[in-house]
Amino acid sequence: MIVAEQKPLAEIKTLVADAKKVLVVGCGTCVTVCFAGGAREAAITASSLRMATKLDGNGKEVADVTVQRQCEWEYLDEIAQQVGEVDVVLSLGCGIGVQAMAEHFPKAWIVPGLNTSFLGLPTEQGVWAERCAACGDCILGLTGGICPIARCSKSLLNGPCGGSENGHCEINAEVPCAWQLIYDRLSSMGKLDRLLEIQPPKNWRTSRDGGPRKIVRPDLRLASEEE
Amino acid sequence: MEYAQKLLEQIGLQGRRVQMINLSSAMGGSFAEATKEMTEKIKELGLNPLREKATVEK
Repeated sequence: MIVAEQKPLAEIKTLVADAKKVLVVGCGTCVTVCFAGGAREAAITASSLRMATKLDGNGKEVADVTVQRQCEWEYLDEIAQQVGEVDVVLSLGCGIGVQAMAEHFPKAWIVPGLNTSFLGLPTEQGVWAERCAACGDCILGLTGGICPIARCSKSLLNGPCGGSENGHCEINAEVPCAWQLIYDRLSSMGKLDRLLEIQPPKNWRTSRDGGPRKIVRPDLRLASEEE
Repeated sequence: MEYAQKLLEQIGLQGRRVQMINLSSAMGGSFAEATKEMTEKIKELGLNPLREKATVEK
């Protein structure tokens, strides 16, 4: 899932400083489960903004609403009227949600209330860790389900570097060496010989390195929208 | 509780305005004590700056 965290209130205040009426928009999917921008967080942020701006002598009208998904037009249609009634929209969605609203409501000023961080999962309650780099050419079948691009600090593809020590990465003792993890897992399953296969150089064009990406599924397109 | 107090500090209010204590229904005396203590603490902190009207109750 996409993992994000809230910006500090001080930063949010500067983002909405010029507005009199603010709409805080939460999102019901990824940011709900990482407790950054769901309905509860939207209500708390709206309330905090009301109180803080009033204390600053710059009181604002702050309302909040939460949509199921901020990244799909149909869900945004539901709040179109509320968006039109305010001076600024503080989105508690991930970066995608902020941009979806900006695209869908071109006359509205949308600002982000979160810092979108990574694709990851909760390893335990309250802790989220990065797992996927969205490289577009998944090699998890070769590495026993552990991604060296996302979990190796240097995204190495041919094994650990000299800095791997006791299973930890040299940049941070709390970060496991991804290649140690891969080695341990493959050897526990008796599949270490997979690492002996020569792989061609990775095609990074499918990753962010190749520019903004797009996927088109002709089988799913509506006849009216195709040219 | 710590989270709520932290939020209040970020907003610009004193976190100490919110407290949580644990009591049972049989602890009437402790309840009275706790209430008295809290009232005094709040009086020290002063009126909530967000309040429109400044009414001081006895």
